[in-house]
Amino acid sequence: MALRTLGRQTWLWKLMSFALFFGAWEIAGRIPISLSFPTFIETFIAFVRMTFNGEFATAYLQTIQPLIIGVAISSVAGVGFGVLMGLWRTMEWFLVVIFIILYASPVAAIIPLVTYMYGIGLTSKVIAVVIMALPLIVLNCYKGVRHTHPSLIEMVRSFQGSRWQEIRLIILPNASSLIFAGLRLGIGAGFIGVVLAELLITPTGIGDLITYHRSVADYPEMFADITSIIALSAVSLTVLLKMEFLVRPETRKR
Amino acid sequence: MRHMWSHLSRLAATAVLVTGIAAVNDAQAAGKIRLGLGDIESVETLNLLIAIEHTKARGVDVQLISFKSEDIANQAIVNDQADIGIGTPYAVIQKVKAPIRLFFQLSTLQFYPVVNTEFYKAWKDLDGGDLVVHSRTSGTQAIANLMAQKHGIKYGSLSYVPGSEVRALAMLQGNIKATIIDAVNTNFLMDKAPGKFAVLPLEGVKASDEAMFARVDYLEKNAETVGIFIEELLKTWRAINKDPNYVVTERQKLGLLKDLPKDLEKEVLPYYQIGVKGGMFPTDGGGMVAAKSDLDFYSVAGQIQGSAADLKVDDFWTFKPLEAALKKLGN
Repeated sequence: MALRTLGRQTWLWKLMSFALFFGAWEIAGRIPISLSFPTFIETFIAFVRMTFNGEFATAYLQTIQPLIIGVAISSVAGVGFGVLMGLWRTMEWFLVVIFIILYASPVAAIIPLVTYMYGIGLTSKVIAVVIMALPLIVLNCYKGVRHTHPSLIEMVRSFQGSRWQEIRLIILPNASSLIFAGLRLGIGAGFIGVVLAELLITPTGIGDLITYHRSVADYPEMFADITSIIALSAVSLTVLLKMEFLVRPETRKR
Repeated sequence: MRHMWSHLSRLAATAVLVTGIAAVNDAQAAGKIRLGLGDIESVETLNLLIAIEHTKARGVDVQLISFKSEDIANQAIVNDQADIGIGTPYAVIQKVKAPIRLFFQLSTLQFYPVVNTEFYKAWKDLDGGDLVVHSRTSGTQAIANLMAQKHGIKYGSLSYVPGSEVRALAMLQGNIKATIIDAVNTNFLMDKAPGKFAVLPLEGVKASDEAMFARVDYLEKNAETVGIFIEELLKTWRAINKDPNYVVTERQKLGLLKDLPKDLEKEVLPYYQIGVKGGMFPTDGGGMVAAKSDLDFYSVAGQIQGSAADLKVDDFWTFKPLEAALKKLGN
């Protein structure tokens, strides 16, 4: 009985999943699979040290700027364009091709080209984040709006609802799950964009830490840098999920 | 008559086959080198490509593998996926205790501090000024640190933009005011905007820009193969120092970098002329002198930890392969 109750605890399974992954990492580091591959414990110690000596804080103060600006622009413009494309055929024909091409293009190859247009400053990094995040947000919002069930729209019209009521009461709530999914994917992609920009354009923030630790062969620190960006991305997505619970309480049942 | 032709053709086929087998055996006897290059083949690597072709002609099977960066090339050597690498992997040797050693200095650092004369005219003007270098722990940062020590100045900010060509472009656009870049890009800046930029004096920098390194076990097991390669490198470097035009003629003779654009083709001779003038290509493989000046320089750069005086040269370099080749060719 007690075992069954314990088995229902999701946190326990999550903990076991982490333990299994980190255990495998530790074994791989101890074999070692490569001389340059650090153990989990070495990486963890480096992670804790850099968290408390302020290295991560200083780095993320720089990284967070293009990330926040880029994600904010992508979220506002992405939801705006996505909804407009879903509601308005002309807009759809005009823009959907561009966003599908952007979505399908190898962004790591495009980012260095941005420097030829916007130089090496903050603008280039913001654009790198936007290039990564925007197509995902736009296309998800567009799909969410476009796939509103026709019978619901018919219902509003049969009750003589206005176009605004149709959008506000039916289309947007119906599309909200895909809009939030787009935002989550967009933020995840934004993290990829900012790291790519900091590795490919100019090494600042966390990109500088990764480049620096690689160049001086501090591999536990380098792995800790990369782990930190993964952790931050995961935390940001969890926060967004909690925000979605506030806006859409019905999703808590999931 | 027909019988005679058939006999002759069989004889010719046998001869070709025997020669082929002999060539294969020769190549196997002379060995194989998987050379990891942390760069693409370009004007700057033409000298190396010439030496590789000459090594191949002596029966060594040299396979050139291009990697995205020097770090990746280092990992390929550490993990035994390439035999010889090019770079200055002092940190990897010291921190990871990787069983690799440097054995041949290919080139010395040739960088030039370039300033926008509207803002700076001498080193002392950079006291509190902004300087942009390649990256942390790079050769350009070490030069910046050395010059700050020498001139008793402190930079207002030292920022990082990787790639000489990117920094040159940023100088031209006015995004940065002072930087340290390579010879080709210094010339590019001087040509594009005459009078707008100036090169500050730089003395006493003689560290390796690129050196060859390999796993210790590979060097021991393939002493003869590595010996042939070093001999050809020395011969090529000496020929270039004698006449930089050697690169141009050998490139044509060996058919190297055939698809080099015309614009870049024009840069080949000036690049090697400038390099020779600045003592960029050592004629003796560097050896002990190079090893010691590298330890001095890279400990200032932060790539090696500890004071250069406390470091043992043998922990980073092996001199046996070079000494053997120099014995054969003469100093």
